[in-house]
Amino acid sequence: MRDLSVVYEGLDRVDGSARFGFGSTKSLCSVSGPIEVRPTLENPSQATLDVQIRPLAAIAGTDSKALATTLKSVFTSSLFLSHHPRTLVQIVGQALCGTESGSGLGSAGRGWNASLTASLVNASTAAFLSAGSVPMKGVVCAVAVGRLQPDPSSSATLIMDPEEAELPRLDGSGCFAFTFSAVLPASPLSCHDVPPCALTWTNYTTAGPFDIQEVKRATEFAKKGAQEVWLKLKESVRWLEKSAASPLPSKADVKKDDEETMGEMEVDDEKVEI
Amino acid sequence: MSLVLPGEHVPAQHVNLKLGPGLLQISAASGEPTIIATRAGEVKHSANRNKWWIEGNSRRYVPAPQESVIGVVVARSGENWRVDIGAAHMASLDGLAFEGATKRNRPNLKVGSLLYARVSLAHKDMEPELECFDAQTRKAEGFGELKGGFLVTCSLKMCRMLLDPKHFLFPLLGSRFPLETAVGINGRVWINCKEPRQTIAVARCIEAVDPDGGGMDELALKKFLGTLDV
Repeated sequence: MRDLSVVYEGLDRVDGSARFGFGSTKSLCSVSGPIEVRPTLENPSQATLDVQIRPLAAIAGTDSKALATTLKSVFTSSLFLSHHPRTLVQIVGQALCGTESGSGLGSAGRGWNASLTASLVNASTAAFLSAGSVPMKGVVCAVAVGRLQPDPSSSATLIMDPEEAELPRLDGSGCFAFTFSAVLPASPLSCHDVPPCALTWTNYTTAGPFDIQEVKRATEFAKKGAQEVWLKLKESVRWLEKSAASPLPSKADVKKDDEETMGEMEVDDEKVEI
Repeated sequence: MSLVLPGEHVPAQHVNLKLGPGLLQISAASGEPTIIATRAGEVKHSANRNKWWIEGNSRRYVPAPQESVIGVVVARSGENWRVDIGAAHMASLDGLAFEGATKRNRPNLKVGSLLYARVSLAHKDMEPELECFDAQTRKAEGFGELKGGFLVTCSLKMCRMLLDPKHFLFPLLGSRFPLETAVGINGRVWINCKEPRQTIAVARCIEAVDPDGGGMDELALKKFLGTLDV
């Protein structure tokens, strides 16, 4: 798995914000809530969750809107929305890197590959941690898993967190989102530092056919990656407040990526504000 | 310094256990009730371990009863005033909820006035309600309209720090020039000084000491104050 990076942005005018990256695949997310809600969206028994997702380039298209609907259901189950009826919890997610492969439309910066989706889910979780005003039942951690099957006779190899360059060679990939909470049943194989988790959502898709055994294998494989993400988030709580003092990633190549994307990020700051 | 993420189990146990902000008792998959954290932060408990809570920072205020807040009057609805306290809903303040107010003798509030009030009712299904007098004595005790001055926003943890009598900021500033302040637990601080540059200095110091804005300690703040020309 690539180097994980969590930065608590401290954006103005929102209640919580964070940037999460798997290496150079990064997303930025902001959370506001509980805030005032329009009467048309008001729900008398729980808070309304509104998710808006924006790709790096161009306006939000169908795939971004579909991802927003998915994230809404993922997070609805991990938040105590009934504690704040008739309010709004708004999540705005922004991709900070484009995919070179695009979403099959031949244009870079518009696709949502598995790693980018996973970084978006993790950035949303980190933003909720930074906001602290919406009660959470558990922490949602996501990780991408890729599949390589050189010939149909051999069994498929699973790859954790595939890099951008590896994506064209994969036969399949998917993002697996797990909710970690002490209220879930513990499995005997889970490690003791991390609370038990349950698979909340996946979009595992492959070019060729796959069976239920492979999905189970992929889920167990992804669980280990999600546990590492959870541990990283736990470590990041230490620098939750001092947004200026968070440690920078130590690897030299990740630093170079930061400098390269600095120019793009400044443009994105305007897009990010709600 | 035990930091927790939401969803983690917190080992709080006592005969008369009281769970404060950030903790919730729910039944786990096994059927037994467990206590989990609902926000990220540090687990703290009182000396005799009967009160437990999670200490974290946030920017959005969620009303709770008996808290002192600073509100801005936004509208009048009949006899009541609608006050913005920074929460999801506007709070309602009765026109007669002031010390010594009668139907003929009411305080003269306007839209845009600042108030220091106490939250008397805060339920998730109802609008919060405010009162401008102390509950037991029915006297003003500092509540009421705040005239003049300047309003600054900060994070909720900063307000709690400012309300602590042992915090260094206000005594340090007060030793340099006279100032009047009111701290609302909803993330708002009202400052009243004679000169505008003193008000600006206080506002900048609050921003500097705020954990969100860098969290300066006393020495660094003294140096910073030296550069501010007050």
